[in-house]
Amino acid sequence: MARRTPRIQRGGRLVLRYLRMFRAFASTEFQFEMEYRGNFYLSILEMFLVIGTSIAAVLVMFGHTTTINGWTLPQMIVLLGVYYLIQGGVNLVFSPSFERLMEHVRAGTLDFHLLKPVNAQFLVSTRHLRVVRAADLLLGLVVVIVGLFQVGEQVGVGAALLFALSLVFGVMLVYSLLLGLVTLSFWFVRVENLLAIFWAFTEAGRFPVDVYPLWLRVSLSTIVPIGIAVTAPANAIAGRMDWIAVALLGAGTVLAVGIASALWRRGLKSYTGASA
Amino acid sequence: MIRIYRQLLVAQIQAAAQYRIQAVLWMLFSIIRPVIFLAAWTAVSNAQGGSIGSYTTSDFAAYYIALTIVGHLTTAWNSFEFEFEVRQGRLSPKLLRPLHPLHYAVVENLIWKATTFLPLLVVCALVAATFNVQWHGQWWHLALFVPSIVLAAALAFMIAWVIATATFWLQRINTVNTLFQRVGFMFAGQIAPLALVPTWMQVVSYSLPFAYFLAVPAEILRGGVTLEVGLLYLVGQAVWLGLMIIAYRFAWRAGLREYSAVGA
Amino acid sequence: MDAPVVDVRALRKVYRVTERETGLAATFRSIVKRRYREVLAVDGITFRIDPGEVVGFLGPNGAGKTTTLKMLSGLLHPTGGEATVLGHVPWRREGDFLRGMTLLMGNRSQLVWDIPAADSFLVLKEIYAVPTAQYKRTLDELTELLELQPLLHKPVRGLSLGERMKVEFAAGLLHSPGVAFLDEPTLGLDISMQGRIRRFVAEYNQRSGATILLTSHYMDDVVALCRRVIVIHHGVLLYDGALADLAERMAPYKRITVTLRGEVGDLAAFGDVVSSTDNTATIHVPRTQAGERTARLVRELGDQLADISVEDPPIEEVIDKVFTSERPLAEATA
Repeated sequence: MARRTPRIQRGGRLVLRYLRMFRAFASTEFQFEMEYRGNFYLSILEMFLVIGTSIAAVLVMFGHTTTINGWTLPQMIVLLGVYYLIQGGVNLVFSPSFERLMEHVRAGTLDFHLLKPVNAQFLVSTRHLRVVRAADLLLGLVVVIVGLFQVGEQVGVGAALLFALSLVFGVMLVYSLLLGLVTLSFWFVRVENLLAIFWAFTEAGRFPVDVYPLWLRVSLSTIVPIGIAVTAPANAIAGRMDWIAVALLGAGTVLAVGIASALWRRGLKSYTGASA
Repeated sequence: MIRIYRQLLVAQIQAAAQYRIQAVLWMLFSIIRPVIFLAAWTAVSNAQGGSIGSYTTSDFAAYYIALTIVGHLTTAWNSFEFEFEVRQGRLSPKLLRPLHPLHYAVVENLIWKATTFLPLLVVCALVAATFNVQWHGQWWHLALFVPSIVLAAALAFMIAWVIATATFWLQRINTVNTLFQRVGFMFAGQIAPLALVPTWMQVVSYSLPFAYFLAVPAEILRGGVTLEVGLLYLVGQAVWLGLMIIAYRFAWRAGLREYSAVGA
Repeated sequence: MDAPVVDVRALRKVYRVTERETGLAATFRSIVKRRYREVLAVDGITFRIDPGEVVGFLGPNGAGKTTTLKMLSGLLHPTGGEATVLGHVPWRREGDFLRGMTLLMGNRSQLVWDIPAADSFLVLKEIYAVPTAQYKRTLDELTELLELQPLLHKPVRGLSLGERMKVEFAAGLLHSPGVAFLDEPTLGLDISMQGRIRRFVAEYNQRSGATILLTSHYMDDVVALCRRVIVIHHGVLLYDGALADLAERMAPYKRITVTLRGEVGDLAAFGDVVSSTDNTATIHVPRTQAGERTARLVRELGDQLADISVEDPPIEEVIDKVFTSERPLAEATA
């Protein structure tokens, strides 16, 4: 057994390497979940139940009105679909990873992540997955499509692209909030409660953000950006957002992720005793 | 029994003091949904000219504030806690004692509600101010509310216990809990005041216990019932509470048999 | 002479610990103003380790061993001083450095408990970007050396402590690091497993030439593996040199234990009587005179003597003396 520094795969660029890592993460988690196939299918069933009852709620409301703040029923269905898309996306990778991160900080096993020749933020954000949430993503997409079908108008390529973009921005916005909250566990050990409040606030995403009074609307677009994360893609696919608006959203997302990442680095510095 | 409760209370209060902050945070967590629906219905109602059915915008607000308070006072999480305890093996020692494990859960439940009630009222007052809520009730609404909320809390608690006993057979009752939560979401009056939901849903709500632990006390609190209807509601609550206690007795006995058969 | 693998100069670490009093009033006060206490964990230590060495890091709990290891593996920033490992400054966490070293902590697991070790290994392979052929070779060799075959495909959760330790070792060495920091690797293991791990570490060092720095408070680990020890206490380096020399310097005596048929009398003439009971006594005699004193004891005690044994002082005793001296020992001449 020769002792030498391993050669990095010549063929892979940095991105490819990170993608392969992510694939390794996903594959091990998926194998684990498949060991408990019963639970896997039950989770999917539960999601059907949750989405079904949420749609029922919307239907009840629309039994008494034809629009809510200018949103028609089909448009609300689309919004609901986006809500579950974003939740699914966040719960697929980021929630399970951050849950483990908090355990690591408590148990002192975060050190192992820091020993790896990989960006620590990437590791703690993507190391664990709940693969069954991919079903949530699919269901959300189905709901969006059903809603679009009811709307009846053709969805242009432009709108679809803006939709996809704003969806990604929406997920990254929620990611930045989660990262910020979880980083607090470097300083305050019991952060789960804050996370519980965050999850409660995300409930607000099931209605278009303009339904809420001003102060709530602002908070749901900045502090807990679930409001804008869900409403923006729904607007985009309805053709109500132009490129400029999406670009602004993108800029805001980059800013949010930047701030959260900076906070994370600050937290790491504090954890490793580096001078401020 | 009273002495036992007093001791349990003392012990639990000490434990609860450690988790003060968490308790309050969890309370905030539980009020957000009604507030969200309040905002939504306010928007809908205003769009329809200020009222829908017999509910003015202000009525909606009052209903949802009442729902928030009732929801808080009837919270019962013992089905989750029970499953956890069985999994951790903590049920057996409790069964060895001459005190039914149910009483621990009751005390825990009451203490949390007591600890968080004041902060809850503060938050409700804030929300009420934001949405310009006015209360149109009579003094006897409040008088009726007292027995109503007690019945409702007991009913919610017993339902949770019956669900909890499913642990004896299923070990993991997460799906059962979700099922009940979502069905409750539909039929207990969270989506809308029950008068405004489709008739078939109202039938389900009132013939099953769903209406009686949430919507009914909320309507009483908000002052939206006549005296006769209010009294009828109380009867309905009592009947369902009785039924649930019977169901619980059966389920618990059968469950214990199953539990010891598996080798507790 | 090769460049040292580990080069530490005047390394220093001070922790700031918040002082927290109990009570509601104190909690409120602490929100406004925090009170700190400074804890000196490592107080300016200096040493060098050459390629291929196996060095033992000794010290009682809280001596600063783990803090030092954490600084050398890049987990902690020092408050003062310098260090390089494999030519890199550890806390800069450069890719080449991280790929070239490993830190194993005896009481903490890096493996995910719910999945088989083999799966975790595959993830590590990707994280360290180990080429597949090399990975297979390394894994095969580690499997053979550590007898991992039956353990690889069971969830880690189901393994015993000793089995888990073996698998953790493999996980830490999959990327063939040039330097291995082992922090209490045999902690909590039973005697036979401790022996197996020790044999593995020695074999691994032989085969791969990897440099190994190991902390332990099991003396047997150190005696079995390390020709050189560094002794730390209260963050200060007390001794750095060969273990054998240390024994000679700190404990230049031999221990003679006699068991008598009758009562023990006054044996002070034979040496330093350290302890005695009704029929036994332990005497420390200067090393060079051990043979002569033993002979005298046999002669003069005659058939009073039921049993006699002559031993080196237990290494714990030696080390304890170093700890209690609390002053750095002057370098022994080679």
